[in-house]
Amino acid sequence: MSLLEVKHVSKRFGGLKAINDVSFSVKPGEVTFIVGPNGAGKTTLFNLITSVFHADSGSICFDGRDISYLTPNAAAQLGIGRTFQLVKPLRNLTVLENVMLGAFLRTSSTAKAEKEAANVLRFLGMEKVLHLPARGMGLPMLKRLEIARALATQPKLILLDEVVAGLTTSEAIALAMLLKRLPEWGISTIGGIEHVMQVVMRIADRLIVLDHGNLIADGQPQEVVHRPEVIEAYLGSKYKEIAT
Amino acid sequence: MRKWQVLIAAVFLFAALFVPLLVPTDYTLQILFRVFLFAALGLAWNLVGGYAGQLSLGHAAYFGVGAYGLALFSKLGISPWVSVLLAVVVAMICAAAIGSVSFRLRGPYFVLCTIAFAEVLRLVAKNLTNVTGGDVGVQVPLLFTHSPIRSFYWSGVLLTAMAFILTVWIERSRFGYYLMAIREDQDTALSVGVNATRSKLWALLISAAITGLGGALYASMFLFIVPDQVLAMDISTEIAIVAMLGGAGTLLGPLVGSVVLESAAEIFKNVFKEAHLLIYGVLIVVVVLFMPDGIVGTCIRKLSLLKKPPAAPIGTPVLASTEKEPQHLAINE
Amino acid sequence: MGNWLYALLQAIVNGLLTGALYALIGMGMALIFGVMRIVNFAHGAFLMMGMYTTYVLFQATGISPYYQFPVAGVLLFFVGYATYMGLLRRIRGQVDFMVILLTMGLALILVDGAQLVFGADYHQINIPLLSKNIRIGSQISINAPWLVSFALAMALAGALYWVVTQTMFGRAARAIAQNPYAAPLMGINVHQVQAIAFGIGSAAAGVAGALLLPVFYLFPEVGNQFKLKSFVMVVLGGMGSIQGAAIAGLVLGIVENLTSLYWGNEWALAVDFVLFILVLSLKPSGIFGSQRA
Repeated sequence: MSLLEVKHVSKRFGGLKAINDVSFSVKPGEVTFIVGPNGAGKTTLFNLITSVFHADSGSICFDGRDISYLTPNAAAQLGIGRTFQLVKPLRNLTVLENVMLGAFLRTSSTAKAEKEAANVLRFLGMEKVLHLPARGMGLPMLKRLEIARALATQPKLILLDEVVAGLTTSEAIALAMLLKRLPEWGISTIGGIEHVMQVVMRIADRLIVLDHGNLIADGQPQEVVHRPEVIEAYLGSKYKEIAT
Repeated sequence: MRKWQVLIAAVFLFAALFVPLLVPTDYTLQILFRVFLFAALGLAWNLVGGYAGQLSLGHAAYFGVGAYGLALFSKLGISPWVSVLLAVVVAMICAAAIGSVSFRLRGPYFVLCTIAFAEVLRLVAKNLTNVTGGDVGVQVPLLFTHSPIRSFYWSGVLLTAMAFILTVWIERSRFGYYLMAIREDQDTALSVGVNATRSKLWALLISAAITGLGGALYASMFLFIVPDQVLAMDISTEIAIVAMLGGAGTLLGPLVGSVVLESAAEIFKNVFKEAHLLIYGVLIVVVVLFMPDGIVGTCIRKLSLLKKPPAAPIGTPVLASTEKEPQHLAINE
Repeated sequence: MGNWLYALLQAIVNGLLTGALYALIGMGMALIFGVMRIVNFAHGAFLMMGMYTTYVLFQATGISPYYQFPVAGVLLFFVGYATYMGLLRRIRGQVDFMVILLTMGLALILVDGAQLVFGADYHQINIPLLSKNIRIGSQISINAPWLVSFALAMALAGALYWVVTQTMFGRAARAIAQNPYAAPLMGINVHQVQAIAFGIGSAAAGVAGALLLPVFYLFPEVGNQFKLKSFVMVVLGGMGSIQGAAIAGLVLGIVENLTSLYWGNEWALAVDFVLFILVLSLKPSGIFGSQRA
């Protein structure tokens, strides 16, 4: 029983076909990574799943429901959380208030939202910065803030767009180890990453490779990175080294 | 910060109730009525403009609808206070209509749209002479027959208190957080499930109700209204400036803004006579250039800088904390 | 031929004549809005200043506004340039609303200042041209001054268009309009270009004021109605497009005159706003725009 089913989805912007007949599905409890060079269409795919814009053709089903033509807030209410590639913190609010915003999706009580937000932040190791304004945070913290805010909405599926970009390798690996635990809490993960393959290989259950809007591979990470078409898309052999 | 603001406002409003017993002239009371009226209007605007960040320059629409509603419904024979209630309802309906068009627009387009709607209403009031009396005007019933000036003053204080309490309650509620999120980054708000259109509309409906009520009170005190008085863009501007001068998005801001602005206007009129609008213009320019957060906003900002500098360094190392056993998470229970 | 047809044609002709002047005002605003996304609430006050300048010069020298309008233009260019450099540049980082408030405050200062200096009375000038009428056919007549101002306005509009499309300045301004972040990286002195753009836009308003003097009456608040009209034109024309604003000006002139003809003068003003709201609700990118609002 799939949690998310993307069926023959296409999307074009003017003359550019950003997503071309892409199909895949995600099972509950999986950690899936969508990889591909910059411009491959990962963010567009995320935007389609969360109804930021709508597909030209094809359909997207979540938990048995057709979500092809919703609004972003409806997608969030159904249980799809997301982070943005360019972090969007609410700068004039504190870290806690930022995350409370996510928690408010599941409760209307300010006190409960505060508690829930604090819990999530503690999970991400951010208890020291709860009451600081988001404005002053550095990028690693802001990335965690994005995740915390999305987690506070108690999603069934969380879409992480370039969540480790800009972090050092050790920071990225540490964050990834954290993300690997999300399925324990019933959250399936789809990550979109372009280059930090070390992270991907450590925690992905499955790898989907996009190239210029086309899905060129879908399967076990170890196996996918060996495929000639994948290597060709990346034009790099260093990934082969990590895989073997 | 918040508790102090509530305390100051509570003391101020309570003390204000006793002013009619001390102040001799009706004229002064009328000016003070205006101070409280615009404080209430500023607080109402603050919900939409300050907290939600939707900077409307068309609130005169709701003010005028409240005023004309009272006048026209009572012309039909309906009792004054019921007319006030109906006028407020009509103001809210206008808000729903105006909001559903305007809120789809961003930035300057939104502002211009709110101006356009208010201007259309003003021109309609001017031109439909059979209904509204046009530029000649229309009579408004007296809401308080017993010591009217004092009663109007007290109604102003009461309206301000109501608006203030409402703001305090909203600020700490989910609704308030949603509004602030919409102000800061609407896309982020959408991504966590906030129905931005619905939230903005609700804020506008509440804002319009209070503004309409204020308009009705104002009209009743003057007993006679014309379109260029209650539907003019000047009213919209004054409301917005009261809130911005005091501090948009703060609790005490509109209250402070009104006290400062209305007293300043009164002083300017007496001292500068002919040039009072010019000084008013200078005041606006000065505020925008040097105090964009408003009086209260600037104070809050300066005071928070005096607090202890943050203890946690930016970019706390991530490795150590991920090894810890996480607390119980209420996710998907 | 029916009288109604001639009345209609006359209204359209009048509309084109007034519309040309509107177009000049609107193009000035469109340039400013297009390059800087600034909604200039002092635009009407600048028109008023141009009008008073021309009036004073006329009273002193007797030179017709149709010859001395460049003076108003040059003066308002510097006023606009100084306004940008001195005031607007300081608040560039802030929300649009602050800019609106600032220009509003400036407008108040200018309008009240004019009232202090010139008084609140209405002024009018009289030039020989005012009594000349040109007939087209037997039923359509054009008041000569309007024809002159039409010709001048169209010529200046053309010149403005040329500046924006053919000069280095114009290219820089368009670059800033398209991508304010990349423009400085291309070596464009953004503040300088924006100040010049603001100056040119304000000069357009000033010149329009000069051209308006013979056919209108002068008083401190004369700019208000034109300010609001220029917002309407910018929106109708789409995203700060200069050509769009020009066409919108002509359209506005015609629509207003037709409204006057069939529904009376009082509704002419209202129709501006109704058009405005219609466009904003149905096609926010404007009649000629292609980008989203």
